[in-house]
Amino acid sequence: MVVLRAGLCPGLTEDMIQLLRANGIRTVVDFVSSDLEDVAQKCSLSYKALVAVRRVLLAQFSAFPANGADLYEELKSSTAILPTGSPSLDQLLDSGLYTGEVTELMGAPGSGKTQVCLGIAASVSLGLKQHVLFLDSTGGFTASRLYQMLQAQTEDEEEQARQVLGRLRLCFVPQLEALQRVQVVHVFSIYELLSALQELRDHLSQEVVSSMGPLKMVVLDSVSAVIYPLLGGRQSEGLALMMQLSRELKTLAREFSLAVVVTNQVTRDSSTGPLKPALGRSWSFVPSTRVLLEGKEATWEKATTQRLASLSKSPRQPTGIQVELDIG
Amino acid sequence: MQREVGTLPLAPALRARLAAAGFQTAQELLDTGPCGLSKEIGISREEALEVLQVVRQECHGDAARTAGGSGAARRCTALELLEEEQTQGFIITFCSALDNILGGGVQLTKITEICGAPGVGKTQLCMQLAVDVQIPECFGGVAGEAVFIDTEGSFMVDRVVDIAAACVQHCHLIAEAQQEEDHRKALETFSLENILSHIYYFRCRDYIELLAQVYLLPEFLSEHSKVRLVVIDGIAFPFRHDFEDLSLRTRLLNGLAQQLIIIANDHKSAVVLTNQMTTRIGQSQSTLVPALGESWGHAATVRLIFHWDNSQRLATLYKSPSQKESTIAYHITSHGFRDVQPPAVTQSAGGTGMNPRKRPRTEEEKQ
Repeated sequence: MVVLRAGLCPGLTEDMIQLLRANGIRTVVDFVSSDLEDVAQKCSLSYKALVAVRRVLLAQFSAFPANGADLYEELKSSTAILPTGSPSLDQLLDSGLYTGEVTELMGAPGSGKTQVCLGIAASVSLGLKQHVLFLDSTGGFTASRLYQMLQAQTEDEEEQARQVLGRLRLCFVPQLEALQRVQVVHVFSIYELLSALQELRDHLSQEVVSSMGPLKMVVLDSVSAVIYPLLGGRQSEGLALMMQLSRELKTLAREFSLAVVVTNQVTRDSSTGPLKPALGRSWSFVPSTRVLLEGKEATWEKATTQRLASLSKSPRQPTGIQVELDIG
Repeated sequence: MQREVGTLPLAPALRARLAAAGFQTAQELLDTGPCGLSKEIGISREEALEVLQVVRQECHGDAARTAGGSGAARRCTALELLEEEQTQGFIITFCSALDNILGGGVQLTKITEICGAPGVGKTQLCMQLAVDVQIPECFGGVAGEAVFIDTEGSFMVDRVVDIAAACVQHCHLIAEAQQEEDHRKALETFSLENILSHIYYFRCRDYIELLAQVYLLPEFLSEHSKVRLVVIDGIAFPFRHDFEDLSLRTRLLNGLAQQLIIIANDHKSAVVLTNQMTTRIGQSQSTLVPALGESWGHAATVRLIFHWDNSQRLATLYKSPSQKESTIAYHITSHGFRDVQPPAVTQSAGGTGMNPRKRPRTEEEKQ
């Protein structure tokens, strides 16, 4: 629905546009789908010029089909699978988080979504030495907890290293380096979030390697906190913004080969209904993989760090698989 | 500069008109200019100028941040956050068991929610925190002021006087035991009148007043920059009745939660909310759950649930980003919120190793 404007392509002058507009041709679609001989007669413009303009517009604005085999080759070379640091979760996700896709974690309050996100960030920044962008919209990111997880992971690695090599590891504080690879941005409203994503896109497309480094993962905790204040009531712009956000996330994941992890809430239809993911049916088409986290006990009187993760949507695995996670 | 028009903070009607006119990126808007814009969309020239100003602000903000400028207020690495967290203080509750399970006390820059049945002690803890936030730094406090927003009318000034008097006495005893210069100086300003004058009290009668108060709070906080605690006693009360449209309630509550987390983050203060309990009737049994629904559960970063066990009051940490779930017992005395038993005395070799909040039991007390 792009409006015809002077300078959109060489050969499209202001006078041409005025003449076309006088005859009801305003947008690119109108121009390309109209009969050029007719237009040339009515607007008294040269047929050759119109054909040339149409060729350029088609080249600029149409989408080109791609070969399935080419797509497969491209996918094989650009997709990476990031281990989440928890073997049972990796098993659930078919060996890890796939780049180029949006994965969603949902659960009730206290079910461990932020903990799992921190664990994934720790594993990627420490184990793979890749950069992670953490978009925090609830204030739940605690750096000391991330540091704790990094220390726990380094201890495991050091144990193995000691057994294999039989000597002590050099101590150049890999945990602090890993902490520097995690960028945290506090985004408390939808516009701030969209600004942050735009900034990320500018960084990556200009290939500024200053502080971002090789970015492989974006974690958004949580998406429902920024969208809920817009939905409901009698206003309808919330849905449009939500779809805008989903488009941004998916194109970022696909274009720059990032793994995007979002966390979502669960809600109930009535006070006795079953739990269902928040943000409705429109959002349910956005993530390709959805994992539901639940506590094992129904009451809050028993304190435990065990959680149950079940797969509710996946393009590769059968749904309904459940594994146990320990978020302690 | 390829910001899409749909992502700019403009009014929805204006956005719809821009989309219908075929504008896709912010750059196109800036190229058209105010006259062209007002002609294409059919708005007045002043409105077009306002729109372009908003667009320019957003795009310049993006450009400044991409170039590595310090335009972004909230971007940092986890390492910097860790250093910040380690130097941040906590607001103690005078109940050491509760402080332990919270990881040191009520954390600044986070929202803490206290849920409980009536009479279990939520307002008592809020009043205790409003006094404790003012404890000077040499005694282990954050030396801040408090804002108390009351929706239920349960704030009793004479009770706060009792709690404050007990707190001042506690600090006096510590100062006498340790005999340090800065303790004495701090105690000159830490008196009953001072404590009461630094608690800013607001009374809100319905949800509209509450929302207005919270949205006006950033201005108030920028004038009173020493505020380190915002208490909203009874966030459930105005929202639990007279709401026909439940989706509107969810929307308002979530907007409120986001506004509170912005306040907590920008002003480095703790936000404490109290919530009521409601009964959920399941298939075979009924359980007590916090009120205001499932989506409200995600608003608070830390959630504490107070409940009874026969005649003992218990506190359970139900949700926290850095601490494990656990339950402890507490007691409410005439001095305020306290442990069930007095904390165990650990006599360390030098006076400097001792926790400044705990005073040792001396011989004079036993007599």
